[in-house]
Amino acid sequence: MKMKRFALILSTLLLTACFCSTALAGEPQDRLKVGIDNVIAILSDASLKGPAKRAERQAKLRTVADGFFDWRELSRRAAAEGWKKFTPQQQDDFVTSFSELLQKTYVRKLEKYNNEKVAFLSEQIADNQAFLKTQVAMKDKTIPINYVMIKHDKWMVYDVVVEGVSLVKNYRTQFAKILSKDTPDALIQRIKEKIKSLDAGKNVDDVAS
Amino acid sequence: MHNMSRTLLTALALTLLCTAAAFAAADPASPVKLTEKPAASSMLLAYGDVDIWDETGQIIKKPAGGDKMTQSDIAAQTPDPLEGWNRMWFTFNDKLYFWALKPVAQGYGAVIPERPRIWVGNFFHNLMYPVRFVSLMLQGKPSAAAVETSRFIGNTAFGLGGLADITADSKPFKPIGSTEKDLGLTFGYWGAGNGLYLVWPFLGPSSGRDTLGYAGDYFLTPTSYIHPWYWSIATKGYDKINEVSMRIGDYETLKDASVDPYEAVRDAYLRNRFKKIND
Repeated sequence: MKMKRFALILSTLLLTACFCSTALAGEPQDRLKVGIDNVIAILSDASLKGPAKRAERQAKLRTVADGFFDWRELSRRAAAEGWKKFTPQQQDDFVTSFSELLQKTYVRKLEKYNNEKVAFLSEQIADNQAFLKTQVAMKDKTIPINYVMIKHDKWMVYDVVVEGVSLVKNYRTQFAKILSKDTPDALIQRIKEKIKSLDAGKNVDDVAS
Repeated sequence: MHNMSRTLLTALALTLLCTAAAFAAADPASPVKLTEKPAASSMLLAYGDVDIWDETGQIIKKPAGGDKMTQSDIAAQTPDPLEGWNRMWFTFNDKLYFWALKPVAQGYGAVIPERPRIWVGNFFHNLMYPVRFVSLMLQGKPSAAAVETSRFIGNTAFGLGGLADITADSKPFKPIGSTEKDLGLTFGYWGAGNGLYLVWPFLGPSSGRDTLGYAGDYFLTPTSYIHPWYWSIATKGYDKINEVSMRIGDYETLKDASVDPYEAVRDAYLRNRFKKIND
Protein backbone atom coordinates (compact mmCIF):
# COMPACT_ATOMS: atom_id res chain seq x y z
CA MET A 1 0.00 0.00 0.00
CA LYS A 2 2.65 2.40 1.07
CA MET A 3 4.64 1.45 -1.93
CA LYS A 4 1.72 2.26 -4.19
CA ARG A 5 1.17 5.68 -2.73
CA PHE A 6 4.84 6.40 -3.00
CA ALA A 7 4.76 5.43 -6.65
CA LEU A 8 1.78 7.69 -7.20
CA ILE A 9 3.49 10.66 -5.59
CA LEU A 10 6.66 9.99 -7.49
CA SER A 11 4.90 9.78 -10.82
CA THR A 12 2.95 12.96 -10.08
CA LEU A 13 6.18 14.72 -9.26
CA LEU A 14 7.83 13.43 -12.39
CA LEU A 15 4.92 14.49 -14.54
CA THR A 16 4.92 17.95 -12.99
CA ALA A 17 8.62 18.20 -13.62
CA CYS A 18 8.06 17.27 -17.25
CA PHE A 19 5.35 19.86 -17.70
CA CYS A 20 7.39 22.52 -16.00
CA SER A 21 10.38 21.95 -18.18
CA THR A 22 8.30 22.17 -21.34
CA ALA A 23 6.72 25.33 -20.05
CA LEU A 24 10.10 26.86 -19.32
CA ALA A 25 11.59 25.66 -22.58
CA GLY A 26 10.26 28.67 -24.43
CA GLU A 27 12.73 31.19 -23.06
CA PRO A 28 15.43 31.19 -25.75
CA GLN A 29 12.78 30.97 -28.44
CA ASP A 30 10.90 33.92 -26.96
CA ARG A 31 14.07 35.98 -27.01
CA LEU A 32 14.80 35.05 -30.60
CA LYS A 33 11.23 35.67 -31.63
CA VAL A 34 11.20 39.15 -30.09
CA GLY A 35 14.44 39.93 -31.91
CA ILE A 36 13.18 38.73 -35.26
CA ASP A 37 9.82 40.47 -34.77
CA ASN A 38 11.63 43.73 -34.00
CA VAL A 39 13.71 43.39 -37.16
CA ILE A 40 10.60 42.74 -39.23
CA ALA A 41 8.79 45.68 -37.58
CA ILE A 42 11.60 48.03 -38.60
CA LEU A 43 11.74 46.64 -42.11
CA SER A 44 8.01 46.98 -42.66
CA ASP A 45 7.67 50.36 -40.93
CA ALA A 46 6.29 52.70 -43.58
CA SER A 47 7.84 55.77 -41.98
CA LEU A 48 11.31 54.22 -42.33
CA LYS A 49 11.03 53.23 -45.97
CA GLY A 50 12.98 54.68 -48.85
CA PRO A 51 16.63 55.46 -49.52
CA ALA A 52 16.46 58.78 -47.66
CA LYS A 53 15.85 56.93 -44.39
CA ARG A 54 18.47 54.28 -44.99
CA ALA A 55 20.92 55.51 -42.35
CA GLU A 56 18.24 55.77 -39.69
CA ARG A 57 16.78 52.39 -40.58
CA GLN A 58 20.14 50.64 -40.56
CA ALA A 59 21.08 52.23 -37.24
CA LYS A 60 17.87 50.86 -35.73
CA LEU A 61 18.48 47.41 -37.18
CA ARG A 62 21.93 47.37 -35.65
CA THR A 63 20.61 48.30 -32.24
CA VAL A 64 18.19 45.38 -32.43
CA ALA A 65 20.91 43.02 -33.67
CA ASP A 66 23.23 44.09 -30.84
CA GLY A 67 20.42 43.19 -28.46
CA PHE A 68 20.26 39.56 -29.44
CA PHE A 69 23.62 38.67 -31.00
CA ASP A 70 26.50 37.84 -28.70
CA TRP A 71 29.28 39.24 -30.88
CA ARG A 72 32.05 38.34 -28.48
CA GLU A 73 31.01 34.70 -28.23
CA LEU A 74 30.56 34.55 -32.00
CA SER A 75 33.97 36.09 -32.67
CA ARG A 76 35.70 33.91 -30.11
CA ARG A 77 34.33 30.77 -31.70
CA ALA A 78 35.11 31.96 -35.20
CA ALA A 79 38.71 32.68 -34.23
CA ALA A 80 38.82 29.28 -32.48
CA GLU A 81 42.43 28.28 -31.79
CA GLY A 82 43.61 31.72 -32.86
CA TRP A 83 41.69 33.44 -30.07
CA LYS A 84 44.12 32.23 -27.39
CA LYS A 85 47.01 33.79 -29.26
CA PHE A 86 45.36 37.21 -29.40
CA THR A 87 46.25 39.81 -26.77
CA PRO A 88 43.21 41.25 -24.92
CA GLN A 89 43.58 44.38 -27.01
CA GLN A 90 43.57 42.33 -30.21
CA GLN A 91 40.55 40.38 -29.01
CA ASP A 92 38.57 43.57 -28.50
CA ASP A 93 39.71 44.94 -31.84
CA PHE A 94 38.80 41.72 -33.55
CA VAL A 95 35.31 41.60 -32.02
CA THR A 96 34.64 45.21 -32.99
CA SER A 97 35.79 44.94 -36.58
CA PHE A 98 34.37 41.47 -37.25
CA SER A 99 30.94 42.37 -35.89
CA GLU A 100 31.01 45.57 -37.91
CA LEU A 101 31.69 43.57 -41.08
CA LEU A 102 28.83 41.18 -40.33
CA GLN A 103 26.40 43.93 -39.48
CA LYS A 104 27.24 45.93 -42.56
CA THR A 105 26.76 43.08 -44.98
CA TYR A 106 23.84 41.27 -43.39
CA VAL A 107 21.88 44.41 -42.59
CA ARG A 108 22.18 45.27 -46.26
CA LYS A 109 20.86 41.81 -47.08
CA LEU A 110 17.95 42.20 -44.66
CA GLU A 111 16.91 45.33 -46.55
CA LYS A 112 15.68 43.02 -49.30
CA TYR A 113 13.07 41.64 -46.91
CA ASN A 114 9.83 41.03 -48.72
CA ASN A 115 7.30 39.69 -46.25
CA GLU A 116 8.89 36.28 -45.91
CA LYS A 117 7.36 34.32 -43.07
CA VAL A 118 9.46 32.82 -40.31
CA ALA A 119 8.27 29.57 -38.73
CA PHE A 120 9.73 28.27 -35.47
CA LEU A 121 10.07 24.51 -35.68
CA SER A 122 11.86 23.25 -32.62
CA GLU A 123 14.01 24.13 -29.68
CA GLN A 124 16.58 22.12 -27.74
CA ILE A 125 18.18 23.32 -24.55
CA ALA A 126 21.21 21.93 -22.74
CA ASP A 127 22.70 23.81 -19.80
CA ASN A 128 23.17 27.37 -20.93
CA GLN A 129 22.94 26.67 -24.65
CA ALA A 130 20.05 26.29 -27.02
CA PHE A 131 19.59 25.11 -30.58
CA LEU A 132 16.58 26.46 -32.46
CA LYS A 133 15.29 25.40 -35.84
CA THR A 134 13.38 27.85 -37.98
CA GLN A 135 12.26 27.99 -41.55
CA VAL A 136 11.89 31.00 -43.80
CA ALA A 137 9.33 30.65 -46.59
CA MET A 138 10.60 32.35 -49.74
CA LYS A 139 8.56 32.74 -52.90
CA ASP A 140 9.83 29.58 -54.53
CA LYS A 141 11.34 27.59 -51.69
CA THR A 142 11.80 27.35 -47.95
CA ILE A 143 15.16 27.88 -46.35
CA PRO A 144 16.04 26.16 -43.09
CA ILE A 145 17.80 28.48 -40.67
CA ASN A 146 19.03 27.24 -37.30
CA TYR A 147 20.13 29.49 -34.46
CA VAL A 148 22.50 28.52 -31.69
CA MET A 149 22.13 30.53 -28.50
CA ILE A 150 24.00 30.87 -25.23
CA LYS A 151 23.01 32.37 -21.90
CA HIS A 152 25.57 34.42 -20.02
CA ASP A 153 23.12 36.85 -18.53
CA LYS A 154 20.54 36.80 -21.30
CA TRP A 155 19.93 34.33 -24.10
CA MET A 156 21.95 35.55 -27.09
CA VAL A 157 22.51 34.13 -30.55
CA TYR A 158 26.10 33.18 -31.36
CA ASP A 159 25.73 31.12 -34.52
CA VAL A 160 23.38 30.95 -37.47
CA VAL A 161 23.25 27.83 -39.64
CA VAL A 162 21.73 28.38 -43.09
CA GLU A 163 21.20 25.32 -45.29
CA GLY A 164 23.73 23.36 -43.27
CA VAL A 165 26.37 26.10 -43.41
CA SER A 166 27.37 27.48 -40.02
CA LEU A 167 28.34 31.15 -40.03
CA VAL A 168 30.88 30.66 -37.27
CA LYS A 169 32.47 27.68 -38.93
CA ASN A 170 32.53 29.33 -42.35
CA TYR A 171 34.63 32.12 -40.82
CA ARG A 172 36.65 29.67 -38.78
CA THR A 173 37.83 28.14 -42.05
CA GLN A 174 38.76 31.53 -43.47
CA PHE A 175 40.45 32.82 -40.31
CA ALA A 176 42.38 29.63 -39.68
CA LYS A 177 43.79 29.84 -43.18
CA ILE A 178 44.82 33.48 -42.78
CA LEU A 179 46.22 32.95 -39.29
CA SER A 180 48.31 30.03 -40.50
CA LYS A 181 50.31 32.44 -42.64
CA ASP A 182 49.78 35.82 -41.00
CA THR A 183 49.73 37.56 -37.64
CA PRO A 184 46.53 38.39 -35.73
CA ASP A 185 47.14 42.07 -36.50
CA ALA A 186 47.26 41.32 -40.21
CA LEU A 187 43.92 39.51 -39.93
CA ILE A 188 42.30 42.42 -38.11
CA GLN A 189 43.79 44.77 -40.67
CA ARG A 190 42.30 42.69 -43.46
CA ILE A 191 38.85 42.81 -41.91
CA LYS A 192 39.16 46.58 -41.53
CA GLU A 193 40.21 46.96 -45.14
CA LYS A 194 37.23 44.92 -46.24
CA ILE A 195 34.92 47.24 -44.29
CA LYS A 196 36.62 50.27 -45.83
CA SER A 197 36.19 48.99 -49.34
CA LEU A 198 32.53 48.15 -48.64
CA ASP A 199 32.04 51.71 -47.42
CA ALA A 200 33.60 52.96 -50.62
CA GLY A 201 30.97 50.83 -52.36
CA LYS A 202 33.33 49.41 -54.91
CA ASN A 203 33.95 45.93 -53.74
CA VAL A 204 31.15 43.97 -55.20
CA ASP A 205 32.65 43.21 -58.50
CA ASP A 206 36.32 42.91 -57.85
CA VAL A 207 37.66 39.61 -56.80
CA ALA A 208 39.52 39.61 -53.55
CA SER A 209 42.44 37.23 -53.72
CA MET B 1 16.31 11.80 -81.25
CA HIS B 2 14.99 14.45 -83.54
CA ASN B 3 11.47 13.97 -82.44
CA MET B 4 12.36 14.27 -78.83
CA SER B 5 14.27 17.46 -79.32
CA ARG B 6 11.38 18.92 -81.26
CA THR B 7 9.01 18.08 -78.43
CA LEU B 8 11.34 19.64 -75.94
CA LEU B 9 11.77 22.75 -78.03
CA THR B 10 8.03 23.08 -78.36
CA ALA B 11 7.72 22.77 -74.63
CA LEU B 12 10.31 25.47 -74.19
CA ALA B 13 8.62 27.75 -76.66
CA LEU B 14 5.39 27.19 -74.79
CA THR B 15 7.10 28.15 -71.56
CA LEU B 16 8.39 31.37 -73.06
CA LEU B 17 5.03 32.18 -74.55
CA CYS B 18 3.28 31.64 -71.27
CA THR B 19 5.77 33.74 -69.38
CA ALA B 20 5.26 36.58 -71.77
CA ALA B 21 1.50 36.25 -71.92
CA ALA B 22 0.32 35.36 -68.46
CA PHE B 23 0.89 37.84 -65.67
CA ALA B 24 -1.93 37.32 -63.27
CA ALA B 25 -4.03 34.42 -62.02
CA ALA B 26 -3.08 30.99 -60.75
CA ASP B 27 -1.70 30.23 -57.35
CA PRO B 28 1.93 30.85 -56.73
CA ALA B 29 3.42 27.45 -56.42
CA SER B 30 6.05 26.83 -53.85
CA PRO B 31 7.73 23.47 -53.70
CA VAL B 32 7.86 22.85 -50.00
CA LYS B 33 10.40 20.39 -48.79
CA LEU B 34 8.41 17.52 -47.49
CA THR B 35 10.24 16.64 -44.37
CA GLU B 36 13.13 18.08 -42.52
CA LYS B 37 13.96 14.99 -40.59
CA PRO B 38 17.52 13.92 -41.18
CA ALA B 39 17.99 10.34 -40.15
CA ALA B 40 21.23 8.92 -38.84
CA SER B 41 22.52 9.80 -35.45
CA SER B 42 25.47 7.57 -36.18
CA MET B 43 26.85 10.22 -38.50
CA LEU B 44 28.17 12.12 -35.52
CA LEU B 45 31.35 10.81 -34.19
CA ALA B 46 33.04 13.85 -32.87
CA TYR B 47 32.74 16.24 -30.05
CA GLY B 48 34.10 19.73 -29.76
CA ASP B 49 34.43 21.11 -26.25
CA VAL B 50 32.65 24.20 -27.46
CA ASP B 51 29.75 22.74 -29.42
CA ILE B 52 26.84 20.68 -28.13
CA TRP B 53 24.98 20.29 -31.41
CA ASP B 54 26.12 19.77 -34.94
CA GLU B 55 24.72 21.77 -37.86
CA THR B 56 21.46 19.87 -37.97
CA GLY B 57 20.75 20.02 -34.26
CA GLN B 58 21.87 16.48 -33.51
CA ILE B 59 23.64 16.15 -30.20
CA ILE B 60 27.32 15.51 -30.76
CA LYS B 61 28.36 12.38 -28.93
CA LYS B 62 31.50 12.48 -26.91
CA PRO B 63 33.99 9.99 -28.23
CA ALA B 64 36.75 8.47 -26.20
CA GLY B 65 39.43 9.80 -28.50
CA GLY B 66 38.34 13.42 -28.18
CA ASP B 67 38.12 14.26 -31.83
CA LYS B 68 36.72 17.76 -32.06
CA MET B 69 35.06 17.58 -35.44
CA THR B 70 31.56 16.96 -36.72
CA GLN B 71 31.00 15.08 -39.97
CA SER B 72 30.30 18.39 -41.62
CA ASP B 73 33.72 19.63 -40.49
CA ILE B 74 35.31 16.57 -42.03
CA ALA B 75 33.53 17.28 -45.31
CA ALA B 76 34.70 20.90 -45.14
CA GLN B 77 38.27 19.68 -44.80
CA THR B 78 38.28 18.10 -48.23
CA PRO B 79 41.78 18.61 -49.62
CA ASP B 80 42.33 21.34 -52.15
CA PRO B 81 45.58 20.37 -53.87
CA LEU B 82 44.76 22.39 -56.98
CA GLU B 83 44.10 25.59 -55.06
CA GLY B 84 45.90 27.89 -57.52
CA TRP B 85 44.07 26.39 -60.47
CA ASN B 86 40.76 26.46 -58.61
CA ARG B 87 41.26 30.07 -57.62
CA MET B 88 41.82 30.95 -61.24
CA TRP B 89 38.46 29.47 -62.24
CA PHE B 90 36.84 31.00 -59.20
CA THR B 91 37.95 34.40 -60.45
CA PHE B 92 36.75 33.54 -63.93
CA ASN B 93 33.30 32.51 -62.66
CA ASP B 94 33.14 35.58 -60.47
CA LYS B 95 33.73 37.85 -63.46
CA LEU B 96 31.30 35.81 -65.51
CA TYR B 97 28.68 36.38 -62.86
CA PHE B 98 29.18 40.11 -62.47
CA TRP B 99 29.82 40.95 -66.09
CA ALA B 100 27.43 38.64 -67.90
CA LEU B 101 25.10 36.48 -65.86
CA LYS B 102 23.94 39.09 -63.38
CA PRO B 103 23.21 41.92 -65.85
CA VAL B 104 21.36 39.54 -68.16
CA ALA B 105 19.39 38.03 -65.28
CA GLN B 106 18.56 41.50 -63.96
CA GLY B 107 17.33 42.62 -67.37
CA TYR B 108 15.31 39.44 -67.74
CA GLY B 109 13.89 39.87 -64.23
CA ALA B 110 12.91 43.45 -65.05
CA VAL B 111 10.90 42.33 -68.06
CA ILE B 112 9.37 39.12 -66.74
CA PRO B 113 7.54 39.33 -63.41
CA GLU B 114 8.39 37.02 -60.60
CA ARG B 115 5.46 34.66 -60.86
CA PRO B 116 6.11 33.50 -64.44
CA ARG B 117 9.76 33.11 -63.52
CA ILE B 118 8.68 30.77 -60.75
CA TRP B 119 6.69 28.80 -63.33
CA VAL B 120 9.75 28.52 -65.55
CA GLY B 121 11.71 27.34 -62.53
CA ASN B 122 9.02 24.72 -61.84
CA PHE B 123 9.11 23.60 -65.44
CA PHE B 124 12.84 22.95 -65.43
CA HIS B 125 12.70 21.40 -61.99
CA ASN B 126 9.97 19.04 -63.18
CA LEU B 127 12.03 18.21 -66.23
CA MET B 128 14.94 17.09 -64.07
CA TYR B 129 12.80 14.28 -62.69
CA PRO B 130 14.96 11.47 -64.17
CA VAL B 131 17.96 12.63 -62.14
CA ARG B 132 15.97 12.57 -58.92
CA PHE B 133 14.24 9.28 -59.71
CA VAL B 134 17.41 7.39 -60.59
CA SER B 135 19.28 8.84 -57.62
CA LEU B 136 16.54 7.90 -55.17
CA MET B 137 16.33 4.37 -56.59
CA LEU B 138 20.09 3.98 -56.34
CA GLN B 139 19.88 5.11 -52.73
CA GLY B 140 17.36 2.37 -52.06
CA LYS B 141 14.47 4.73 -51.39
CA PRO B 142 11.69 3.35 -53.59
CA SER B 143 8.89 5.12 -51.74
CA ALA B 144 10.57 8.51 -52.19
CA ALA B 145 11.14 7.65 -55.85
CA ALA B 146 7.47 6.74 -56.15
CA VAL B 147 6.42 10.04 -54.62
CA GLU B 148 8.68 11.86 -57.08
CA THR B 149 7.11 9.89 -59.91
CA SER B 150 3.58 10.76 -58.91
CA ARG B 151 4.58 14.40 -58.56
CA PHE B 152 6.12 14.30 -62.01
CA ILE B 153 3.02 12.75 -63.53
CA GLY B 154 0.71 15.10 -61.66
CA ASN B 155 2.64 18.24 -62.52
CA THR B 156 3.19 17.25 -66.12
CA ALA B 157 -0.36 16.17 -66.83
CA PHE B 158 -2.32 18.63 -64.73
CA GLY B 159 0.20 21.42 -64.13
CA LEU B 160 0.59 22.53 -67.74
CA GLY B 161 3.61 20.41 -68.43
CA GLY B 162 5.23 21.24 -65.12
CA LEU B 163 4.75 25.00 -65.11
CA ALA B 164 2.60 24.77 -62.03
CA ASP B 165 3.81 22.81 -59.05
CA ILE B 166 0.37 21.54 -58.13
CA THR B 167 1.69 18.70 -56.01
CA ALA B 168 3.76 20.93 -53.71
CA ASP B 169 1.22 20.82 -50.92
CA SER B 170 0.40 17.13 -51.12
CA LYS B 171 2.35 15.35 -48.45
CA PRO B 172 2.91 11.61 -48.47
CA PHE B 173 1.57 9.62 -45.53
CA LYS B 174 4.97 8.49 -44.48
CA PRO B 175 7.79 11.03 -44.26
CA ILE B 176 10.24 10.33 -47.05
CA GLY B 177 13.03 12.85 -46.58
CA SER B 178 14.21 15.27 -49.21
CA THR B 179 13.83 14.14 -52.79
CA GLU B 180 16.26 16.76 -54.11
CA LYS B 181 18.95 14.28 -55.03
CA ASP B 182 21.53 13.88 -57.75
CA LEU B 183 24.19 11.30 -58.46
CA GLY B 184 26.91 13.17 -56.57
CA LEU B 185 24.74 13.05 -53.46
CA THR B 186 23.99 9.39 -54.16
CA PHE B 187 27.69 8.52 -54.21
CA GLY B 188 28.01 10.49 -50.98
CA TYR B 189 25.08 8.56 -49.51
CA TRP B 190 26.89 5.33 -50.37
CA GLY B 191 29.82 6.62 -48.35
CA ALA B 192 32.09 8.09 -51.01
CA GLY B 193 34.12 11.07 -49.87
CA ASN B 194 34.58 14.23 -51.87
CA GLY B 195 38.05 13.26 -53.02
CA LEU B 196 39.24 16.75 -53.76
CA TYR B 197 37.72 20.16 -54.14
CA LEU B 198 37.39 21.42 -57.70
CA VAL B 199 36.13 24.58 -59.34
CA TRP B 200 34.89 24.25 -62.92
CA PRO B 201 34.50 27.14 -65.32
CA PHE B 202 30.78 27.96 -65.84
CA LEU B 203 29.65 25.19 -63.48
CA GLY B 204 31.23 26.53 -60.30
CA PRO B 205 32.33 24.70 -57.16
CA SER B 206 32.43 20.92 -57.27
CA SER B 207 34.44 18.00 -55.99
CA GLY B 208 35.91 14.85 -57.43
CA ARG B 209 32.84 12.89 -56.41
CA ASP B 210 30.37 15.53 -57.55
CA THR B 211 32.13 15.87 -60.89
CA LEU B 212 31.58 12.17 -61.55
CA GLY B 213 28.00 12.59 -60.42
CA TYR B 214 27.56 15.57 -62.69
CA ALA B 215 28.82 13.59 -65.65
CA GLY B 216 26.21 10.94 -64.92
CA ASP B 217 23.49 13.54 -64.34
CA TYR B 218 24.27 14.98 -67.75
CA PHE B 219 22.93 11.84 -69.40
CA LEU B 220 19.81 11.89 -67.22
CA THR B 221 19.05 15.51 -68.04
CA PRO B 222 16.49 15.76 -70.85
CA THR B 223 17.83 19.13 -71.99
CA SER B 224 21.16 17.47 -72.80
CA TYR B 225 19.45 15.69 -75.68
CA ILE B 226 18.24 18.77 -77.49
CA HIS B 227 19.62 18.80 -80.99
CA PRO B 228 21.70 20.62 -82.23
CA TRP B 229 24.05 21.12 -79.29
CA TYR B 230 23.85 24.89 -79.21
CA TRP B 231 20.13 24.73 -78.53
CA SER B 232 20.86 22.41 -75.66
CA ILE B 233 23.38 24.89 -74.25
CA ALA B 234 20.96 27.76 -74.84
CA THR B 235 18.18 25.96 -72.97
CA LYS B 236 20.43 25.21 -70.04
CA GLY B 237 21.67 28.78 -70.13
CA TYR B 238 18.11 30.05 -70.02
CA ASP B 239 17.34 27.82 -67.05
CA LYS B 240 20.43 29.21 -65.31
CA ILE B 241 19.50 32.83 -66.01
CA ASN B 242 15.97 32.24 -64.78
CA GLU B 243 17.36 30.71 -61.60
CA VAL B 244 19.89 33.49 -61.07
CA SER B 245 17.14 36.09 -61.50
CA MET B 246 15.50 34.65 -58.38
CA ARG B 247 18.71 34.69 -56.35
CA ILE B 248 20.36 37.99 -57.09
CA GLY B 249 22.10 39.24 -53.99
CA ASP B 250 22.90 35.92 -52.33
CA TYR B 251 26.35 35.54 -53.82
CA GLU B 252 27.03 39.25 -53.34
CA THR B 253 26.29 39.01 -49.63
CA LEU B 254 28.49 35.98 -49.16
CA LYS B 255 31.28 37.65 -51.04
CA ASP B 256 30.96 41.00 -49.30
CA ALA B 257 30.78 39.46 -45.88
CA SER B 258 33.77 37.18 -46.28
CA VAL B 259 37.40 37.97 -45.74
CA ASP B 260 38.50 35.35 -48.24
CA PRO B 261 35.60 34.75 -50.66
CA TYR B 262 37.22 31.70 -52.23
CA GLU B 263 37.49 29.93 -48.88
CA ALA B 264 34.00 31.06 -47.89
CA VAL B 265 32.44 29.61 -51.04
CA ARG B 266 34.45 26.42 -50.71
CA ASP B 267 33.39 25.89 -47.09
CA ALA B 268 29.76 26.71 -47.88
CA TYR B 269 29.67 24.36 -50.87
CA LEU B 270 31.17 21.40 -49.03
CA ARG B 271 28.99 21.81 -45.95
CA ASN B 272 25.83 22.39 -47.95
CA ARG B 273 26.45 19.28 -50.04
CA PHE B 274 27.10 17.29 -46.89
CA LYS B 275 23.80 18.44 -45.45
CA LYS B 276 21.95 17.49 -48.64
CA ILE B 277 23.34 13.96 -48.54
CA ASN B 278 21.63 13.40 -45.19
CA ASP B 279 18.43 15.33 -45.83
